Amino acid sequence: MARLGSRQRRLHLAAIGFILPALIIYALFVLYPLVVSLWGSFFQWRGLRQMGFIGLGNFARLFVFPNEARFTGAFWHNVAWFFGIMVFQDAVGLIFAYLLFWRKKFGLFLQSVFFFPAVLSPVIVGVLWRLLLAPNGLVEWLLNSAGLHEGRLTVLSDSTYALWVLMAIDAWNWMGLPVLIFAAAFRQISTEVFEAARIDGANTARILWSIALPLMIPAISSVTTLTFINAFNQFDIVYVMEGVQGEPNFATDLLVTFFYRLAFGSVGATGITDIGLALALGTVLFLIVTVGTILLLRAFDRATVRG
Amino acid sequence: MRFSAFLKTLPGWVVLLLWTVVVLLPLYALVISCFKSTAEIYADPLGLPPRWDAGNFANAWFTLNLGRNLVNSLIITVGAVIVTILVSAMAAYPLSRYDLKWGPWMLLLFLAGIMLPIRLASVELFNLVKALGLIDNLFGLVLVYIAVRIPFAVFIFANFMRTLPRELEEAARIDGAGEVRILFQVILPMVIPAVSIVAIFTSIAVWNDFFFPLIFIFSDENKTVPLSIAGFIGQYRTDWGTIFASLGISLAPVLAMYLILARQIREGIGTTGATK
Repeated sequence: MARLGSRQRRLHLAAIGFILPALIIYALFVLYPLVVSLWGSFFQWRGLRQMGFIGLGNFARLFVFPNEARFTGAFWHNVAWFFGIMVFQDAVGLIFAYLLFWRKKFGLFLQSVFFFPAVLSPVIVGVLWRLLLAPNGLVEWLLNSAGLHEGRLTVLSDSTYALWVLMAIDAWNWMGLPVLIFAAAFRQISTEVFEAARIDGANTARILWSIALPLMIPAISSVTTLTFINAFNQFDIVYVMEGVQGEPNFATDLLVTFFYRLAFGSVGATGITDIGLALALGTVLFLIVTVGTILLLRAFDRATVRG
Repeated sequence: MRFSAFLKTLPGWVVLLLWTVVVLLPLYALVISCFKSTAEIYADPLGLPPRWDAGNFANAWFTLNLGRNLVNSLIITVGAVIVTILVSAMAAYPLSRYDLKWGPWMLLLFLAGIMLPIRLASVELFNLVKALGLIDNLFGLVLVYIAVRIPFAVFIFANFMRTLPRELEEAARIDGAGEVRILFQVILPMVIPAVSIVAIFTSIAVWNDFFFPLIFIFSDENKTVPLSIAGFIGQYRTDWGTIFASLGISLAPVLAMYLILARQIREGIGTTGATK
């Protein structure tokens, strides 16, 4: 190996010095707990004490009564959340962004209006909508006045609708994000592309679908990946609006709320925790999120090359 | 001709107007409900309050100790933002501008943190914070937030620093400037947009976070605004006027910041999200 020049060596030392503070904090509070959690999911736990190695024992317990129903229920709620947000937030946001793109000046102003809920804490958003959707709340009043509904509005305690209502509120909260990303992507496409398509007689929908979208794969990739990561990390809105049990009757239970109950106990300090099961669930979720994210990014990468 | 052109854009305007109403109506209801009694909210949720009575605000302020919560949130946010910017800019500088064999791997290690679901490690994180004696402590919360926000910050700084011309630091080196001086006096002033993107997104994420205070904070005097509000709705669920006022108070600083920074936020998200 060639000896490094003294200047090279000095830079090398400087680099280490520069990186070390960030690396120490990041390694200590992110990487270390993560690795220890993954490792710990293969051990038996008594309370907060780690006992012997049991291989996949904790994972097996995820798939038997009574955990199996909670686990699969929460998993499918997360999957529904991802696809629900993809449609109600991201696809709708794409249409909004397209409409805003053609309305130059006023479009920018509306983008900022649409984004405002995204700077609010999901806790504030959840509490606000919990009151608006409660019996006697604004939504009931509006629906009753318009003659679309009669009597008490109980969507939040109705297991048929509750999950969809929460998704809609999440979409209300974050609609501005896909709108901003897609609007920026539209602006990067040269206007001549649109002009040429117009002259060729393509209508608006056709321009959007076959000309703009293939050029916007990087933006679609970011939005889809962000939606995926956020869907499987969802917690705050459910906790604030339906409690940590995912009321009514676990209809809005998600993997992270399930994890929270296993790791820290339910509200009211029933205090029954199951660390082994919590860590196993954490490992499963870790695999879902990392593998899913990598697969999504690779699929979009390939689409970009072909496009 | 002109009228028919307008007619063609009309459906688009209707759609956009509809969503504007969906966004603004709940916020309007929030603001006017702050000044009403619960009975008045039930009776007429959209009407202006009969009198502009600040009683709800006083009630919310004192029963929740909101002043203290706001100060806590502010301390945590400012602390986390400053340190995150400092250590991330330092780490991004050699990773984006030096010729290091292990540089790309180190960068990848940092960037992996953007997608790592750190909430799932919260049991071990709790044990760690406890071992450090930082449970129910604002400083412990700040450390966790810095660690969680470093990956995104390094990503942004590295992307911005990579585009600067090489001659920049070469000239400074020939003049005999040390590496620390080059970073803070030559490179950092050139990436001010990156600093503002990191500052804005870190402060939004930290100010709004609920999960970590829920796990790490127990005493009332250390609660942040979201934690305090979430506990409040459980206890006082029937006193709507006061709950709305508490939302109003916690929303006010965010709204003020948004009115000032809306353009930067819009452009910041556009540049980071639409490209790779």
